Amino acid sequence: MTSWTLAIRSLRFHARSHLGSLLGAAVGSGVLVGALVVGDSVRGSLRAMAISRLGKVELAMASNDRLFRQKLADDIGASLDATTAPVLQILGTATTGDADARANRVHVMGVDQRFWELAGDPPSFSAISPDSVVINRALADQLQTKTGESLLLRVRKPSALSQDAPLSPSEDTLVAVRLNVQAVVSDSEFGRFSLHASQIPPFNAFVALPTLASRAGVTNQANLLLIGPKRGEGNTAITLDSATKALRENWTLADAELKLQELPNGNGAELRSDRVFIDSPASRAAFAADSEARGVLTYFVNEMRIGERTTPYSMVTAMGAPIVPEEMAENEILLNQWLADDLGAKVGDELTMAYYVVGLARALEERRETFRVGGIIPMQGAAADPTLMPDFPGLTDAENCRDWDTGFPIELSQIREKDNAYWEEHRGTPKAFVTLAAGQRLWGNRFGDLTSVRFGDQAVGTDLERQIRDALDPASVGLQFEPVRESALAASSQSQDFGQLFLGFSFFLIIAALMLMALLFQFGIEQRTSEVGVLLALGFKPGKVRLLFLREGAVIGIMGGLLGVFGGTGYARAMLYGLSTVWRDAVGTSALSYHASPATLIIGGVSGAGVAILTIWLALRKQARQPAHQLLSEGPADESPSLSGAGWTKRRTDLISRLCLIAAGGLIVLTGMPEGLAGAETFFFAGTLLLAAGIAQCASILTSLGASGTSAKIAFAHLAVRNATRKRKRSLATIGLLACGSFLVMSIGVFRLESGAGAAKRSSGTGGFALIGEATHPVVQDLNTQSGRDSFGIDSANLAGVEVVPFRVLDGEDASCLNLNRAQKPRLLGVQPELLAKRGAFTFAKVVEEAPLEDRWLLLKSGKQATVVPAIGDQASIQWALGKKVGDTLDYTDEQGNEFKIRIVASVANSILQGSLLIDESAFIERYPSTSGYRMFLMDAPGEKMEIVSKVLSRALRDFGLEIEPAVRRLAAFNAVQNTYLSTFQVLGGLGLLLGSVGLGVVVLRNVLERRSELALLLAVGFGSNALRWCVLSEHGVLLLLGLGVGAVAAFVAVLPAVIAPGAQLPYVSLTLTLALVLLSGIVWTWVAARFALRGKLLDALRNE
Amino acid sequence: MSKSPPLLVLERITKDFPSLSGATPVQILRNVSIKVSDAESLAIIGPSGSGKSTLLNVIGTLDRPTRGSITLEGDDLAKLDEDSLALVRNRKIGFVFQAHHLLPQCSVLENVLLPTLASDLPNRIEDSEPRARRLLDRVGLSARLSHRPGQLSGGERQRVAVVRALINAPKLLLADEPTGALDRASAENLAQLLVELNREEGVALIVVTHSMQLAKRMRRICELTDGDLRELESTEGDKL
Repeated sequence: MTSWTLAIRSLRFHARSHLGSLLGAAVGSGVLVGALVVGDSVRGSLRAMAISRLGKVELAMASNDRLFRQKLADDIGASLDATTAPVLQILGTATTGDADARANRVHVMGVDQRFWELAGDPPSFSAISPDSVVINRALADQLQTKTGESLLLRVRKPSALSQDAPLSPSEDTLVAVRLNVQAVVSDSEFGRFSLHASQIPPFNAFVALPTLASRAGVTNQANLLLIGPKRGEGNTAITLDSATKALRENWTLADAELKLQELPNGNGAELRSDRVFIDSPASRAAFAADSEARGVLTYFVNEMRIGERTTPYSMVTAMGAPIVPEEMAENEILLNQWLADDLGAKVGDELTMAYYVVGLARALEERRETFRVGGIIPMQGAAADPTLMPDFPGLTDAENCRDWDTGFPIELSQIREKDNAYWEEHRGTPKAFVTLAAGQRLWGNRFGDLTSVRFGDQAVGTDLERQIRDALDPASVGLQFEPVRESALAASSQSQDFGQLFLGFSFFLIIAALMLMALLFQFGIEQRTSEVGVLLALGFKPGKVRLLFLREGAVIGIMGGLLGVFGGTGYARAMLYGLSTVWRDAVGTSALSYHASPATLIIGGVSGAGVAILTIWLALRKQARQPAHQLLSEGPADESPSLSGAGWTKRRTDLISRLCLIAAGGLIVLTGMPEGLAGAETFFFAGTLLLAAGIAQCASILTSLGASGTSAKIAFAHLAVRNATRKRKRSLATIGLLACGSFLVMSIGVFRLESGAGAAKRSSGTGGFALIGEATHPVVQDLNTQSGRDSFGIDSANLAGVEVVPFRVLDGEDASCLNLNRAQKPRLLGVQPELLAKRGAFTFAKVVEEAPLEDRWLLLKSGKQATVVPAIGDQASIQWALGKKVGDTLDYTDEQGNEFKIRIVASVANSILQGSLLIDESAFIERYPSTSGYRMFLMDAPGEKMEIVSKVLSRALRDFGLEIEPAVRRLAAFNAVQNTYLSTFQVLGGLGLLLGSVGLGVVVLRNVLERRSELALLLAVGFGSNALRWCVLSEHGVLLLLGLGVGAVAAFVAVLPAVIAPGAQLPYVSLTLTLALVLLSGIVWTWVAARFALRGKLLDALRNE
Repeated sequence: MSKSPPLLVLERITKDFPSLSGATPVQILRNVSIKVSDAESLAIIGPSGSGKSTLLNVIGTLDRPTRGSITLEGDDLAKLDEDSLALVRNRKIGFVFQAHHLLPQCSVLENVLLPTLASDLPNRIEDSEPRARRLLDRVGLSARLSHRPGQLSGGERQRVAVVRALINAPKLLLADEPTGALDRASAENLAQLLVELNREEGVALIVVTHSMQLAKRMRRICELTDGDLRELESTEGDKL
């Protein structure tokens, strides 16, 4: 005989009375386990999506706007003995053959069979036909298309010369390709392929690599290289170090869009770039390979003037020897004979040169510089070298001057026959020469300050290319492998913890289940009061008696935990179903599947058991405190206190009630009537205080009713109310549970985010902007200028009063609440902070240092260092999606492979800027010079013109894939996530309330069973059965109404700001339905319990007394 | 008359019960004084509501007196805390109630051994089991060790309760209306058993009873009336 033996015996003997407790423990534990499993499932689903979208890809090199040889993939693959695949990836748009349906931001990928070998589940087709396209399910659904139908893809031709660069041609760079849909591939067949982590599938279109490369004018080139595992058994992963080593061993200058070519007439060699301007790292490497190399910078100038004579549109070269002597001053210029004759120039004359430089949004600024003619040189030898002009795309192939496309406006009327003749005979031979320093000062830009590097005869024949290559870090020219698989798995494992989220949602349900369990367990113990008395009489200490019962409770808790593990999986599946359907707005996908790790199930089961055991321990604390003789003779005492005891209890509860009431009133008065949703949190807190006051007041009423003395007159109604005071704590627990539950369910609505209210204000989440637009292809023109609008054929009258704030975009991961993955590298937006500052757009939530309101956007310009760039983001993005706070930093790598940090200096509240980090545009250009144009726009437009403006701009920039929507709708999409979470909480809280109403039924049953003899006495003295039933119903109905009433009144105060806010939409219908359901459930359970307890021959209870 | 110091000494014990209406407390016991020696037997009789059970509860440390002192084996029980009193109840006092209060989920042997669980002594159950078996055999229940209380008659249950009360070899056995719920024959048997055990185990016995027949089998009889205890007569007790 041991204590455990006694516990087990007692459990088995009282199994029926413990069954309810076991169920309560199982429900509580099951909900806890289920919530944790939901977390596992979301993480597991994201991991599965990551593996599905990457297939067997381990590493990737994405050079974006830069192009390398497709053969590089073969060479690296051979070095590593791994599967590699070159891909040409271009953003485009897709429309159906009849243009009925459209998709923007389509990832058009030129691939070959090697790509499909990296899929998790390679598709059945062997190759993509030259005139076909393979699309993924997301694109097929968007376009409502299927195999056999035709599509029109529009892609932007990759250009080595950035559209923002000087002399970048302005001709249309879009190319349209009509293809037939060969197949629609599933996610596992690489349909979901993407390097960015998101649970929302991208639009993917796969084209045969040679077809796409040819149509885009980049034959045999690619801008994405994928590496899979080693070939053969085991599929060993390739490390980043080995891939980088293989890259260094196999890359050539051509992969950096550089070429080393011999100059004509054996004059040495020169290094040129397809990008026209040579990147600084490349030029440094060239000089490192040969210290005697010479830099050359050739530019196109508008005009050269001496007095009244002018020569239009000429090439001028900045260089040193052999043409420009070392001693020539920076303000001197050498003219070739042709120019000197044309201008009638002589040495010493003052020459004025006019030229364009390109600013932001291709804003052209004409500048002038004055030189002194330092000499006139004959057009022969080095001075007559047409190769001094780089391969400007709009110039090189032009037959005559009228065919030039420099990206600058050309006054054709100024071109004379002799100018044309010069071009036909001498092509781009420069007409003038200045020092390299002067040229770099005038024409150097973010893309480079040289157009070639020339090497002397002595360098030719040596291993010059290898020397340049060895001195050049491929990462500095955009060639760098990233561990994409590792990043993807990190993004999924660090994703939003849905386990904790659902624990929060379900906590009231868990509390209700545990309270029900504790209530039922306590009832069971109360039925065994004589047993308690005997144990005390036999010499058991009260603590030991409680421990004996706790052992029983522990077994119940452990069994409940075990049952909860099984039940929890069902709960999790139900929650996942909800997330995939009615709560889909919170996760943006229906592809969540069930995953549960054994560790989670064990932790959940143990935690559930632990919490249940703890709850039982709390319930047992007051047991065995009464004298043994009382327990043996009378059973558990009524809780009606004596007058003196009641007096103190009533004073205490009255004090608590009054203090809470005063505090609530004070808060409301201090806050004042709320404007909109301001002060919502204060009112919620006031509501909570009112709730406490209400419950304390109920306790006070129960106390005073229970201790009241005899009365000459008693009424039947008094009897019912007085009965409620017999088990004061039991009654109060019921009131408290119902009050708290109804308060939570109804008041949580105050935290709903409303996007409509005050959307036009600058301080709102829209920043006061009417429209938000995102383009697939960069728009380099300024849409605020006449010339910019003219370039798209937009009638300015339609855009009167419209102002556009443009943003440069560096694609990254979506750091908004719509992306469940933890964003590793959020999207960057480059903006001129002044444009937002002058508007006072958005409301700042936090700033790293105090700054006047109007200057906070200008924090983007302050504190910049070489390796730290300030950024501003949305508070929700920063806190939840990135897991950071204001003041923290993130690591980025610029276009030249240099690492730098982005420091979050401020955050804005609940805005449409969610998902990205904003930096100063100049810092953006400095680090990502090749990212041309603008792809995101915020637009101010008069309210009545919004629709027209949206239509006009969408139509005009249709080929750029511009999608425009009202800013308030974008905000609503973000708000939908939080609002969906709140709805989930309300649903689960409502379930908890329903469980609470079941608890009320249990209390009724218990109360009536305990008093069967009293009720029998009433029957014996002449009360009818209906009267008894009514007495029971009214006694417990009072508890139900008190509980719901206190909760409802407190909740009304809590949601007052939301009620009176203009345009606010509280879910009155669903809340009313929930409360009505709980009230009905409570009444039904009370009625059922009363009927059950009063069944049979009640009078027998008198005889058995 | 024993010359050793008395086992139990009550001096001017008073027990008041407060009134719910706040009026003067009701005095159930009024200056009750008595001494009981080792192995002595005493019956307390009196009308219903006279406070007999209250007096027994006070003696058995199940209730505390309002005033007065109780000394058991020289220890002043008023000075002991609840844990120490529990120890006293466990080791020195055995209680037999009118309702047997056996645990229905435990067997006869387990019910008898129940008081040993309260003790922190090592091997307490192993040491007590032989005694339990012997006592159960003594009361004629050796064949019912594994039976549950629900399988026993009223008299048998009460005999088990008596053995339970004696398992820790207490100095004092208190019985509150032990035969009150039994039929006549069973009551007679139980009374006989109590007297025999009083002698065999050398345990002092105090019985609260309505039954004069049972009372006369005790060596001393006291009557409790209106809170006052008055000794009626000393008898030779039950002559065996």
